[in-house]
Amino acid sequence: MQPPQPASIRYALATGFVTAGLVFSLILFDVVPHGFLLFFLLAVMLAGWFGGTRVGLFAVVLSMVSVAFFFIPPYRALAVNLDEVPYFLSFLLSSIVASWLGSSRREAEERQQAHLDELFAQTPEALLLVDLDYRVLRANFQFTHIFGYKFEEIRNRTVADWLVPEGMKEEAMDQRRRLADGLNVNFETIRQRKDGSRVNVSEISFPVIANGKTIGYYTIFRDITEDRRAQERLQKAQSELAHLSRMTTMGELASSIAHEINQPIGAIATNADAAVRWIAQSPPNMEGARESLDYIVRDANRAAQVIERIRSLLRKGPTPMGYLDLNEVIREVLALTRFETNRRGAVISIALANPLPPVIGDRVGLHQVLLNLIMNSLDAMDGINDRARQLHISSNVEGANVVINVEDTGQGLNAEDCDRIFDPFFTTKRSGIGMGLTISRSIVESHKGKLWASTGNASGSVMHISLPVVEKRQ
Amino acid sequence: MKAFGKSSVMVVEDDPSMRTALRNLLRSVGIDPQLFASAQEYLNAKKPDVPACLILDVRLPGMSGLDLQKEMKASGDDIPVIFISAHGDIPMSVHAMKAGAVDFLTKPFRDQDLLDAIHTSLSRDVVRREKESACADLRERLQSLTARERELLPLIVSGRSNKEVAAKIGTSEITVKVHRGNVMRKMRADSFADLLRMAAQLEIPYTKV
Repeated sequence: MQPPQPASIRYALATGFVTAGLVFSLILFDVVPHGFLLFFLLAVMLAGWFGGTRVGLFAVVLSMVSVAFFFIPPYRALAVNLDEVPYFLSFLLSSIVASWLGSSRREAEERQQAHLDELFAQTPEALLLVDLDYRVLRANFQFTHIFGYKFEEIRNRTVADWLVPEGMKEEAMDQRRRLADGLNVNFETIRQRKDGSRVNVSEISFPVIANGKTIGYYTIFRDITEDRRAQERLQKAQSELAHLSRMTTMGELASSIAHEINQPIGAIATNADAAVRWIAQSPPNMEGARESLDYIVRDANRAAQVIERIRSLLRKGPTPMGYLDLNEVIREVLALTRFETNRRGAVISIALANPLPPVIGDRVGLHQVLLNLIMNSLDAMDGINDRARQLHISSNVEGANVVINVEDTGQGLNAEDCDRIFDPFFTTKRSGIGMGLTISRSIVESHKGKLWASTGNASGSVMHISLPVVEKRQ
Repeated sequence: MKAFGKSSVMVVEDDPSMRTALRNLLRSVGIDPQLFASAQEYLNAKKPDVPACLILDVRLPGMSGLDLQKEMKASGDDIPVIFISAHGDIPMSVHAMKAGAVDFLTKPFRDQDLLDAIHTSLSRDVVRREKESACADLRERLQSLTARERELLPLIVSGRSNKEVAAKIGTSEITVKVHRGNVMRKMRADSFADLLRMAAQLEIPYTKV
């Protein structure tokens, strides 16, 4: 759309249209005597369309003068015979309507254009309009703001040449194919600025369709660097909180864990003593000695594993996600808490579904969740003397999820607390800050899983962890 | 340990590594121990009728080692107990020793300490069993006495003369003399001093007139 011309040009144009109308009418007068009606109406309409209401009316006045002078008796005079007045008036009326039609159509278009321009300019997102070959037809100010390119610099240039960084071309082509199939495309990616720096964007593209034919594509870019940073900060804060909570739990467990390490060390010492005695026999019993050494190797590995698990729980920072067998995760945590459970006079039983399909998860995070649940159960059973203190841990496959249940015979939960226990700073214990379950739930949810509580069948409570099963890629 | 002839060493330890290690050590000195993973398993098991001792872990799932020791005492199971523990908890060891434990060893312990403790325990059990069987023999002899003779026995061993006894139970001195002879014969006492020793073993109370 052309920008509107200055007033002088528009009036000159109107004069031109009317003059042209007059010239055609005069030339063709002998052939079509009343042709002037059409020519002047056309001139007025065009003047209205190009110049707006006022210019249209200006053309109406010019036309009336010309018509009165040349075509309505008395000819060559600016007068109208009395009996020609109805004829002249109806022509005047038609002209005004024609002018109005032209100008209103024009104004509607201009308004629409103004809306569109305003939208383009004011949108906080970067907008890009490209043709079917991905050449730039239009870009807004925000686009320049994010990417550094002015519209003039990129006009008619193919997008992939300057916006898509190396290594992302393949992905960009995929998205183009999807767009060509008539799909809307919405994804997060990396684009490159004029100065070559990279920027995280969310990109939404959709085809522009006119009369059933795609004539180009719009793309909306949003700079998500800040979102990403905020997300990273949040993750970091969460991970620090989780780490802190792990440290607290490990602190509570310290003496039990020391015994857990002492156990295999004690076994190693005893087996070593046995080995010496087998060898001291005459003749030396090499079979006995060899068996002792095998036990020593096994127990040393076990001690090393316990220490490694503790180290990983105390380690700070993110831990990698990987395929996990939850049964293994359960056994690993129980190896850390066995002593603590004995110390608290509780009995642990397990019922693990075997085999269990894998889930994707962070081993340390899930250790923390289970550790937290087990410690809570032990705390809940501390004051229980009228029944056995039992902790039952089971794993099951339910639909597309693996579900772990941690069931105790502790003081139990009432129905309304089942939800509240996950609130931050909510606690039923005399000591504790009430963050354990809040953190545990956020860990499970970061695995796209669920953690919830229910009141147990008889006494105590049950905690449930549900994690989605994944297909293991070969 | 072969000195004890037939004997039995039992182990209650929940940690599989430690259990295996103990079995291995004991086998290397010629003992084939009986292993249990929990207090309940031990209680459910049938114990052999030979000199025995029990190596007992303090911390066990469910019933603890100390609870088991208490339970054993209450049910008359007097097998000597050697405690092993993963930590040297002094109040706990004092408690265990007061309740009659032979020893309290902290893991990791010296193998000789354990073997010595086992030796002590078995020796103690041999004596205990001898005592117990001697007692059982005496009780049998006591059972062979008539009611009248059993009534006389406390008075006799309290050093009363036949005359005093006769006065006490309202009979003649000669009858008491016959009863005394029967008691000596039935209890197979060689002398009065021998009868006194038996009475002490049977815990027959000294009575005043």
